[in-house]
Amino acid sequence: MSKHPEDQTARALELLDNLKADMYPLKEYKHIGEKGPRRIDGLSKASGQADYTMDVQVPGMLYMRFLMSPYPHAKILKMDTSKAEKLAGVRNVLRFDDPEVGKEEIIGKVAGFFGSDSPLSGVAHMEGELVGAAVTADSEAIAEEALSLIEIDWEERPFMLDPVAASDPAAPLTFPERYIDGNHWNRGAYDELAHGDVKKGFAEADKVIEFKFSRTANTWVGPERPCGVWKWNGDCPEIWLKHQRVHLPKSRISQWFGGIPMNKIQVHSLYQGASFGGWSQIDWNLGPLWCAALVSRRTGRPVKYIFNRREDFFGGSMDEGVYFVKVGFKKDGSITAVEATLYHVNAIWPVFNPVLHLHDNTTIPHLKGQCKSIWVNKGHTVPTRCEMLPPVLTQTMIFDRVAAELGMDPTELALKNDGCMGHDMAWAAEEKKQRGFQVRDSLKECIEKGKAEFKWDESWHKPGDRKLPNGRLHGVGFTWAHEWDDSCGSSEFAIRIERTDGTASLLATGADNGVDAENTYCQIAADEIGLRLEDVHYNPQQYAGFYRMTPDSSTNMSVNGWAVRHAARILKEKILESATGPTALTQRGGYQPAFPNTSPQDLDIKDSHIFLKSDPARRMSLADFVRMAGESGCFSTDEFLGVRTAWSEPLFASSYHVQYGAYNPVNPRPRFCRQAHFMEVEVDTETGEIFVTRVVNVNDVGKVINRMSCEGQQYGGSIMGVSRAKFEEVVHDPVTGVMLNGNLIDYKIATMKDLGPVSTILVETGMGYGPYGLIGVGEDIGTVVPGLTAPAVFNAIGVRIDDFPITPDKILKALGKI
Amino acid sequence: MNKESKNYTCPYCGEKHRSADELKEHVFQTHKGRGLPAPEGSIKLTVNKAEYVFQVEPNWTLYYLIHDKLGLTGAKQFCDQGACGSCTVIMDSKPVLSCMMLAIECDGKIIETVEGIAANGHPLIEAYVNNHAMQCGYCTPGFVVTSKALLDRHPDPAEEEIIEALAGNLCRCSTYPQHPIAVREAAKKLRTAK
Repeated sequence: MSKHPEDQTARALELLDNLKADMYPLKEYKHIGEKGPRRIDGLSKASGQADYTMDVQVPGMLYMRFLMSPYPHAKILKMDTSKAEKLAGVRNVLRFDDPEVGKEEIIGKVAGFFGSDSPLSGVAHMEGELVGAAVTADSEAIAEEALSLIEIDWEERPFMLDPVAASDPAAPLTFPERYIDGNHWNRGAYDELAHGDVKKGFAEADKVIEFKFSRTANTWVGPERPCGVWKWNGDCPEIWLKHQRVHLPKSRISQWFGGIPMNKIQVHSLYQGASFGGWSQIDWNLGPLWCAALVSRRTGRPVKYIFNRREDFFGGSMDEGVYFVKVGFKKDGSITAVEATLYHVNAIWPVFNPVLHLHDNTTIPHLKGQCKSIWVNKGHTVPTRCEMLPPVLTQTMIFDRVAAELGMDPTELALKNDGCMGHDMAWAAEEKKQRGFQVRDSLKECIEKGKAEFKWDESWHKPGDRKLPNGRLHGVGFTWAHEWDDSCGSSEFAIRIERTDGTASLLATGADNGVDAENTYCQIAADEIGLRLEDVHYNPQQYAGFYRMTPDSSTNMSVNGWAVRHAARILKEKILESATGPTALTQRGGYQPAFPNTSPQDLDIKDSHIFLKSDPARRMSLADFVRMAGESGCFSTDEFLGVRTAWSEPLFASSYHVQYGAYNPVNPRPRFCRQAHFMEVEVDTETGEIFVTRVVNVNDVGKVINRMSCEGQQYGGSIMGVSRAKFEEVVHDPVTGVMLNGNLIDYKIATMKDLGPVSTILVETGMGYGPYGLIGVGEDIGTVVPGLTAPAVFNAIGVRIDDFPITPDKILKALGKI
Repeated sequence: MNKESKNYTCPYCGEKHRSADELKEHVFQTHKGRGLPAPEGSIKLTVNKAEYVFQVEPNWTLYYLIHDKLGLTGAKQFCDQGACGSCTVIMDSKPVLSCMMLAIECDGKIIETVEGIAANGHPLIEAYVNNHAMQCGYCTPGFVVTSKALLDRHPDPAEEEIIEALAGNLCRCSTYPQHPIAVREAAKKLRTAK
């Protein structure tokens, strides 16, 4: 039990699943909030030294490739693999009907619910699905050639691509093995969300409008394609895996082949070539690894599977669908009711209702949203940047329309309707007070800063009203949402003070997703313990056994930040107790404490030195405090002379944090932080091309820890957002169901030339539930900005385009040019 | 030379001979100093100033040779068909897409990879680190190589020139705004050093 009056372990427990402002904030910050701490991964990545799973080669390794279905919906009736098996260099052909390939293994995200599936199926539900056979050979080229020698009799089945058509009860079944009662299968959370009475709300409105919009398939495009290596060391698996998480694959693997103890499984999580959600969320994401494990056992050789670029187009983003919206509003801009139905394509885990954001961050008193999850013969859709895409898109489209109907500045309309769960800002202010937050108006602050930076008042005009000297039509758009941190889970961190030089090592296993989170945790640890930043290091690829949550940034910065902080405070407490002793009372006497006749509360740590607060000249570096250990021992010349010198026990602490995040409907965390985004476009009315000339992002992140990292998520999210709105569309041939553009020449993503300057502004109201009042940033901008292009284009040309992506042909059609 | 082949034609002058031994004798006598011709698929390559002789298969790309065989894994395969720039290396002073080059066609070429650029202490590396011109890092080596090739030709590029030069390098994390800043910082350091 700690003798320190501020028991840090007790405080850490008190802060679990935090619903209030930070009860024990730091009094001052040194590294927290710094602009440019040097990236821990920077040199490795810039110099080409950083290793990714794609780079892994292990002695004796074989290469595995899978068969791709040529049909959107088909069953294998007969398969002849004899020619493939005979090809020189082929070491194994695994068939879907192999007795060891079962109907179900735990290979996906959520075991037993959306996570069990056959590792190698004999039925394809989309063109390009990897089914039927996996060939393992001495090289990828040989494996590819062997696949072409496999002869199959397919039973083609009817297929559907359009969700509205597929929702018809008379439509053919698109996935009869799973969804036997129809293609509308809903099993998720938030399928129906309502508060108030929309009939009443529409009756109270001065005007009611109805509209429809759609978002076609678009996908994550992870730079490093899915890949993995499985090697058996006796009965212990050693795995390298491209995956956004580490613990999840490990926990699934532990259930394979009759059970493998967790303590025998080693998963290497090297640098990751980005996932953005994507592949790691797909049901079958561990299917290839399972197959590699089996074949590795059978061949006695390590096996690597690598997807080609076409195969990475395995699924898409969960904003794909058709949205039907009805909105009632008053002349003063108060929105009285919203009813929305989303025909959602292929969402495989809890789907987020189209009115969810309106519920979370507006005063709208009457809401009803329904989400119909429809299965069509395309890939699964998953959070690609974020599962909030549907409700965010719906919010943007609604607010832009209502503003246009009223001729009202959309920033004013946003402020008019800002609130929490149907309550107004007065209610929100009271909640903030109750929870110990400062009472600040986050949206107002974001909008004011954004408008000033963007010069909104000079830029905004009536739709279609401004033609530029270059002949293009000028337009501006605005949107807003709350800033979110929704993760539901736990994080574990440990910190150890190294012997000899007193440097600190953070210990937690995770997967890098490029947001420089590692530095952020070091900044927290440095400020909490009192160390120089250069004395804190975190190597997340070192297998530490503690599991932090990944991906970092918006979803998990809060929970990971808390875990680091708890561990750091407990460790500091331990260091100061150890410094005042007595330490190591042995059978032959004890060791002198480093600071005799003092108490822990008399000491502090700064710049990696322990010092006496009343007399800072009495100080000792942490390096001198920890001294050597082990072979070098705690022994010095003095010891040989029988004189006991100071010695410190091992200095190590671990802690954890849990949170239910925002998902708990019973005791929700009202959302107080906001974000606001502004976009300027020029539309060429001859070519239909949209030039995005400026974007301004304003995000209230509560408290900035790593400034450059936050900014990276802002401009990075903006560019991806514009890319998704302007170019990105996975195209399927309606006659054959074949995906036509599964490559990066025909599926276009933004280049450096495709966007003008992005200005980034960070607001710090401290109204987040994370440590120091932080709320994350990362998913937000990439999720909110895609929809913003529509308001900007409407403001330019005066005609609505309700179908994303907004491509030149749609512009020209809207202008009546084609 | 393939001893089994019936074609005992001198690869240097085209003179025909009756046997492998006769051909070998002819080569040593007439073309002494040139040595026996290299076996089929043999290429010489200078990579980061080190000379190599490789025996390559006809279907090997330069990327495969550098990444898988030589173990210089900086060059990355993002799109695997010449659309992304992540596999860029500098070949005879020009940035090229190594996934679109056949290794067998690169005999005698001088190659510079990101590893060589870093080993030589080029200021681009520090500039990239300082300006956070990377996130997941998968595309970063390709950008560094293309930028280096640009600076070799244009020691003081304007922002528009940098954007034009790097337009063929894709970054999904969208770190784009940071690259012109990093390149101009490196350019300034290089000019100051001179």
